Amino acid sequence: MSTTQMLKGIIDGCLLAIINDNEVYGYELAQKLEEYGFNSFSEGTIYPLLLRMQKEGFVTSTLKKSTAGPRRKYYSLTPKGELELNHFTERWDHLQSNVNRVLHNESNQKEVN
Amino acid sequence: MNNAQLSSKSQKFLEDLRVYLFSSGKNSEEIDEITEELEVHLSEAEKNGKPIEKIVGKSPKEYMKMISNEMVNDYRTWFTYICLIVFGSFAITIFPDLMGGSLSYSVLEIIGHLVIAALFIASVFTGFKYLAAHRTSFKKQVVLLGGIATLPIVLFVGLIYLNQVIDTPALHFGQTGSLIIGILASLIIIGVSIWAQSWVLVMIVALVTLPDFLLSRTSLSEDTQFMIQPLIIIAGFAVYLWLSHSAEKTKQR
Repeated sequence: MSTTQMLKGIIDGCLLAIINDNEVYGYELAQKLEEYGFNSFSEGTIYPLLLRMQKEGFVTSTLKKSTAGPRRKYYSLTPKGELELNHFTERWDHLQSNVNRVLHNESNQKEVN
Repeated sequence: MNNAQLSSKSQKFLEDLRVYLFSSGKNSEEIDEITEELEVHLSEAEKNGKPIEKIVGKSPKEYMKMISNEMVNDYRTWFTYICLIVFGSFAITIFPDLMGGSLSYSVLEIIGHLVIAALFIASVFTGFKYLAAHRTSFKKQVVLLGGIATLPIVLFVGLIYLNQVIDTPALHFGQTGSLIIGILASLIIIGVSIWAQSWVLVMIVALVTLPDFLLSRTSLSEDTQFMIQPLIIIAGFAVYLWLSHSAEKTKQR
């Protein structure tokens, strides 16, 4: 399985977290993802995801003028988006601890004993 | 908008995306929004020396599809164009016939007309979508667009021929019926024009009926009339396109 396939669904949560941190526009968002180490995917993939998150009411956008060139579209989280981010964090924590346990050959049973 | 700093490859991609989304029946405002957003991204990426592949991936077609899938279909735009084409082609037939007296069409003519309109619409949308998503040579583009443009002409010629060979029941509308159809057609055309904010239908109807009508009142010989008429239609349409183009330009400023 490639990294791209694994990333599906996870990137959504990461986008929510970055947007929650600060109001950002698309290019900035891609830059930040790259800084965090996600550099294997094409930057444009964030836009279909943003479109969907906007449709689902997780993010809103405002157009702002920039000194250089055309207007930038800045994204911010809605209350619904904040809720989704919390859900994502919970799901991720759960998933991550399970996967780690599998990889390190520990089972729930062992822990209890 | 400032496109000057964008490479031609990126500009081409944005144009293709526009056409692709439009022929997929998306809302034009939303198309503007997403292309503007990508324009910002592409120009900043280019400033930092990133190739376009880093943004749209290896296959622009796949990427366009991904964006398209997340956008809602805007049936209003589709409906506008379908109305324009269907009623436009009907009006072109109905009004000159009305000038010549009462209306009478065979069932084959009416059904054939609808089928041709549907085929034409389908071929325009699929053709444009194909051209936007695939890298095609200029020759192939000319062949494809030429094919789409000639398709309805060929089909109409075929329909006229079929109509002579095959006998289907004819509908005669009589004086009053024709008058009612004429009034209804006018109302529909005016309604669609106001709704679509485009006077192109009214222009087409005026151009196919008025020159013929006015010329028949002059003392010119029939041969001269026959030669002048197409010239007036083409010139009139050119003037209309030029006027609406310059109106659009002043609106943008």
